[in-house]
Formats: sequence, C-alpha cells, structure tokens
Amino acid sequence: MRRRLDGGSQVAEAPAWPAPERRLDGYEILSLDELERYPSETHGGSVLLPLRQRLGLRAFGANCWTAEAGAQIVPRHFEESGDEELYVVVRGRASFAVGEDTLDAPAGTLVHVLPGTMRQATAEEPGTIVLAVGAPAGRAFEGRGWDEVVVAFAHGRAGDVERGRALMHDVAARQPDGWEAPYNLACFEARFGDADTAFEHLRRAVASAPAEVRGYAREDRDLASLRDDPHWQELFE
Amino acid sequence: MNAAHVDELDRVELPDGFVWRPIRRRFDIRAFGVNAYTARAAGSPIVETHKETQLGHEEIYLVLRGRANFTIDGNEHELAAGQLVFVRDPALERGALAVDADTVVLALGGKPGEPYEVSAWEAMFAAVPAANREDWDEAIRIHDDALGERPDHPALLYNLACMEARGGRHLDALLHLQRSVELDPKWAAHAHSDADFAAIRSEPGFPV
Repeated sequence: MRRRLDGGSQVAEAPAWPAPERRLDGYEILSLDELERYPSETHGGSVLLPLRQRLGLRAFGANCWTAEAGAQIVPRHFEESGDEELYVVVRGRASFAVGEDTLDAPAGTLVHVLPGTMRQATAEEPGTIVLAVGAPAGRAFEGRGWDEVVVAFAHGRAGDVERGRALMHDVAARQPDGWEAPYNLACFEARFGDADTAFEHLRRAVASAPAEVRGYAREDRDLASLRDDPHWQELFE
Repeated sequence: MNAAHVDELDRVELPDGFVWRPIRRRFDIRAFGVNAYTARAAGSPIVETHKETQLGHEEIYLVLRGRANFTIDGNEHELAAGQLVFVRDPALERGALAVDADTVVLALGGKPGEPYEVSAWEAMFAAVPAANREDWDEAIRIHDDALGERPDHPALLYNLACMEARGGRHLDALLHLQRSVELDPKWAAHAHSDADFAAIRSEPGFPV
C-alpha cells in the first residue's frame, strides 16, 4: 500500500475555533477544526485533515496536517508527483527541515519547497496545524486521491468497510490507467475484504507494471494475509 | 531555506485601501496563485471586492490572524483565525473588511483543469509603489518583465503605456497603447479619459 492509514488513535483535541460550517450556493464556509482527523501510517503517523476532499478542490491540492507536540507533522518526503508546495503554519509552531536547512516556524510562517527537495516538519506545540498547498507547475492539477485513500483505510479500520470501499472505487474510477489504483484496492481488500477480490485487483496491477508491483508487494504489510495463498505463488514466484 | 513569515512580506498599499502582501511573487511559485492581504486599519478593506469571472479561478480565503467580515454574493460572514471561505463559483462577488487591525487573510487560487498562469494584475500591483514615487523606469521595468511572459496581454500593455506616457517615453506609450487597443478595443474608451495620457492624447495615432 502506498498511501494508507495508521492503526493508531486519532488526535482528539477540543476545537480552538468556533465552527461556522455552512454550504451555500457557489461557496462554502468552514473552520479547519471541523475537518475530521486521520492518522496516516504511510505518512509516519502524521494526522491528515483532508481539506481538498472536503471542499472538492480542483485547481490545486490543499490539505492540513496536525500532530502532538514533538511528533512529525509534515511527513518526510520529496514530491514524486512533481508538485511544487507551499507550507503555511496556521496555528502553533513547527520545526522544518528542508534539504540541509532547518527553521523554527511559528504561526504565520510560509515555507516554499520545490518537488525534488526532501522536507519534513515536527510539531513543537500542541494543536499545531500546517496547511500544505501543492500543484505541478506547467500542468493542470489532478487530484491523485492519496488523501482519499488515507480516509478510506480509516473507514475500513473503524469497521465501515463499505464506506471505505466506495471511496476506494471512486479514486480508482478517476485513474483507469496505471497500477496504483488496482494495487491500492488489493491492499484494501486484503486488509478489510476478501482474498479473492484482493487477488483480482492485484493481478490487474501486476499486468500493468510487473516490476513495480513486485517491488512494493514483497514488503507490504497490507498484503500479509495473502502471502500464504497459492495464488500469491502463481503471481510472484 | 525559501521561507518567510507573513509579517516579513512586502507591503503594497493599493488605491482601493487593502494591502497586498505578495507570496507567489516572493517565492516565484508557478503552480498556483497565493497571496496574503492585510488592512491599513480595523474596518478597512482587506480583500478587494471583485469577481473571478475573467480568470475562472476557484479561491480559498483563509483567515490566518484576527477576524475579517466577508461579503460573498451579498451575504455577510465574519470569519476568525482558522476559518475559511471557499468560493467555487468565479461569478460570485467577494470582498472583506478587517475587523481587527492585525488581521491577515491568505488567498489561494487557480483555474480547474488548466495549468496555472501568473495573473497579469500582479505586475500592475507590484508597480504601484514605484508609480507612487514617480519612479517610472522601475514601473516600466516591472511591466516589461511581465510582458516577457505574456507579450500580448492587453491590460498589461495598456498599463505599460500609462507608465511610459507619465515617464516621458511618448512614442513607446503610443505604440503600446495602439497594440493594446488592437488586441482589445475596449481600451480605447479608457484611454480617452485616462489622465495618464494627457501628454500624448493630441498625438497623431492616439486611438479614437
């Protein structure tokens, strides 16, 4: 699984801001504290507040991250997608490491990072929220759905498998080509559904990109329940 | 590291009363539009009253500090730090007044389905301080830079012509004004009442 949810508990803090959430014709008002919170295993335990999905953003990506003080808030990564990113410390304080540099970043700090530069941040105060905005320069933004996958796995872990599965299929429907969507569906089914369906998705992923899928599948804990199945040997050995 | 605090951003006080704090331009961001806005005082404009019909942008306005009173499509909403309004429909008029003097609003925008293009208004805003101190060379340079990326943008050409006319470069002003009108005839009407062109209005070739 490339993008999924941590099994840890959600960060639950009293909202610091009032909640004026309102949907109106052509516009919408909400408080960041109204966003659900989803710890992400594939993002080092950082807690996602899925703003892009909530608003249905189409022109650029924008999501928030939070974490307990001392914990990772912006996952260590560079942008394989080619997205240029701006991080905005909305509340609290974070310490950023970007390339070889470090920065103490109180609320109101803006950090711009190009796609190939490694970045990471740690929350330094309780309740810290960092907004991450991203899109590719020179190309139209397309939501790849990693954030929805994080949310879908949360639903699966909470026992609402149908809701999670529906979200996974929404993401897959937007990505008819490539191996990632069927691979993620296989991971979801292996964790929360049934093995036969997981193998169906996994076969499609392997057919699309055999080398990449073999590379990920070998170490992926989401697929652990499939490894003793004879179908696994057929696919990979 | 490419970083700054919002209080460290340039302050460009605009004629409409709000204060532009350029972010995209500061970091040369090419993938989406992003800027901050502050106000001259409590009760003053912080977000220009406008629509996004021309650019087709969807926009988020996030209050980073203080409070702002937004008017969206005629409806008023007071938003505090950590609250946002997402304006999905470019045709809706939106604007805001600062409730607190130190309010900061972050604005994000882009057009769905298309690569981001730097908006021409940025160069016009950026040239305001130079124009205010009558540093026409600097104001012209800022417009020239923007036109390097978008050479046939009528509004940029028109504004460049304004700066050139004020700076005494009358022939350049006339040529750029003619080109602007050629690309979009509506600029001829603007030129007739624009005080910037007082020095060249009687020249042969001034758009009629």
